[in-house]
Amino acid sequence: MSATTSDSMPRGRSWRSIRQEVAAPALSRKGRKRRHLGWLKAAGVIVFVAAGAWGGHELARSWADRPALASAANKSRLAAPVLITDGVITTDWLGRQLALPPSATLMSLDLVELRERVLAHGQVKVAVLARDFPDTLVVTLQERTPVARVRVQDGGGLRQLLVARDGTVYEGVNYSRELLGSLPWLDGLALRRQGDGYAPVAGMEAVAALLATGQTEATWLYRDWQVVSLARLAAHDEIVVRMAGGPEVVFTRRQDFYKQVARLDFILEEARQRVGAAPVRVNLALGQHAAVAFDRPARELAAAEAPSTSFRLQPSEKRASRDLFQ
Amino acid sequence: MISSSSRLIGAVEIGTSKTVVLAGEVTRGRSLNIVGVGVAPSRGVMKGEVVDYKAACEAAHHALEMAEHRAGARLEEVWLAQTGGHLDGFYNEAAVNVKSADNTVTAMDIATVCELAKEKELPPGRSRIHEIRRPFRLDGRAVPDPEHLTGGRLEVGYWIVHGQENKVSDNIHVIGGYHLEVRELVLASLASGSLLTTAEERTHGALVLDIGKGITDYVLYRDGSVVAAGTLPVGGDHVTNDLAIGLRITTAQAEALKLRHGRATPQTRDKSDKVWLNGEMTFGDRQIPRVAIEAIASARIAELLEVVKRKLAPKFAAEHCGAGVVLTGGTSKLPGIEEAAARVFGLPSRRGEAPGWVKEELQDPSYSTVLGVFQFGLRNSHDQVLPVRRKGGLLSSLGRIFA
Repeated sequence: MSATTSDSMPRGRSWRSIRQEVAAPALSRKGRKRRHLGWLKAAGVIVFVAAGAWGGHELARSWADRPALASAANKSRLAAPVLITDGVITTDWLGRQLALPPSATLMSLDLVELRERVLAHGQVKVAVLARDFPDTLVVTLQERTPVARVRVQDGGGLRQLLVARDGTVYEGVNYSRELLGSLPWLDGLALRRQGDGYAPVAGMEAVAALLATGQTEATWLYRDWQVVSLARLAAHDEIVVRMAGGPEVVFTRRQDFYKQVARLDFILEEARQRVGAAPVRVNLALGQHAAVAFDRPARELAAAEAPSTSFRLQPSEKRASRDLFQ
Repeated sequence: MISSSSRLIGAVEIGTSKTVVLAGEVTRGRSLNIVGVGVAPSRGVMKGEVVDYKAACEAAHHALEMAEHRAGARLEEVWLAQTGGHLDGFYNEAAVNVKSADNTVTAMDIATVCELAKEKELPPGRSRIHEIRRPFRLDGRAVPDPEHLTGGRLEVGYWIVHGQENKVSDNIHVIGGYHLEVRELVLASLASGSLLTTAEERTHGALVLDIGKGITDYVLYRDGSVVAAGTLPVGGDHVTNDLAIGLRITTAQAEALKLRHGRATPQTRDKSDKVWLNGEMTFGDRQIPRVAIEAIASARIAELLEVVKRKLAPKFAAEHCGAGVVLTGGTSKLPGIEEAAARVFGLPSRRGEAPGWVKEELQDPSYSTVLGVFQFGLRNSHDQVLPVRRKGGLLSSLGRIFA
């Protein structure tokens, strides 16, 4: 069988001469939607092509400037490094840490080695070093945030070190005295040497989560948390917090810290208002129950009004404005 | 995901009973992968012609959207099956004397004779749909390609199919209403014939009848070429109407009765054998003799086949139709229709079966035309008879996006 279609037919006599476009009112809703999608796609392609053209132009321009930049980078003396950080490290500290020779040029720098130098300090979590032609080294840092502090006795005497959320132990640089003073001390842990520093503290994720919960949800309690003991963490999953002028509180990492902090607040409030006695130890690691030891004998407490036997999570009367239970 | 070297093409048939869309991924104009199907009951279409634009659009666009959704991509173009009672065809021949001194046929001789054979004027308001070339004859002997052969007189004939321009444009505009372009228009009968017959059968001679709800498409092959193709405005609806009138029942009841108990050749002899009209045995239901149903249906089918035979009369000869009659279309599902066709045409008859590469779910006769549209289009494009389009290139890709 052989057949031809009408491209070879006399003009004006073929079905191909029939106008195919239909007027806008004759387009169905689906047809209109399809047409709009086509326009959108076309606009996207135009934007893409324009962006490509602009990118190509920029690339060509930078390529044209490249020889001049390269020669300048090899000849110019290095300017002061530019520091971009999310923390407290300063340019002075960076300069000391990098220890760049005065005659260095931008192209003579070994960025990998310099990066190692910066990362050698525990406070620096991420470091990105980039050459900004012709003569500037740009250093972008992401710093660790301390969540607790620890006292260490070593060759340098008794020193205060900081511990980050990931357990990294480091000597803090440029932190304010107020910030350091607000950090609780860590206790009950054995630091192991690793290179020039110390190995990360195990279990700090849980401790950091507890401290963050206290800091954000119950500031009035957190500010009295003086010492956080990790002695029972590995074996019993318990974190013991000693409060200034208050009880020793046992938290467990098996349960939600938010609820545990809320229960602690309730217990302290109830003890103050109803029992009139100061708790010396609160154990929140007993599941649904909590064990509270008071500073007076049980006989005296029995004479006092009995507190409610069940805990209800509700704001204490003393601090109606807090947002603990919202 | 449609690869960059392929096009997503929709084969569309806007039929009287339903609109069928197949989404096919055509790679390098050769391989076809059916990736989506859309079927919607037609509305606003009578005897293959659009009579209510909005209703027809609603059904067709629903089917197109369904096929696109299943394919997971947008159709880029449509190959449309064209049918309708307005289609007609004629055969035109031309002959030239070979011009070269050594009587070798040149490309110019071929182009000249082809142009002459196609030159015949059409009546006003008519558009050409297809120009189907018969084999060349060089000094009386049939040759597929006469170039570089030696002879004195070169002849060729074309079967020219044409239709009423406004009716063809109605169909095209239904697709245009979905913001799609019709790239190929394929006569429905050629599409079905292309799918359901083999090259060998076409060489031996075959008659393909696509009996739809409102129309019957036919194509007659001989010596591997199309001798006649066209459309008649008779179909399964006529059987339904006859049953409705003859049995005094509603059209819906007649349609249901036809589907449940209709036969193209009478089989029941027992006049007491009756069937329930609605099949529910509720109030208003009644029993109808099976003999009456079969008699009415078979009479109408025989008449329909006779009409086709009369239409083909000058060109049809049983002895030149060795491969027999191939039946397809919704009405071809009527039991006994092969016997009816065999009796009318005096030839062995069979229901058309889609080739093995067609998936099982597309084996139903209602998909024959759209599958044939793909097969016909691809075959012609492969034979480089269809115009070759430039592929690839940024500009053509951009053009497709803007389409």
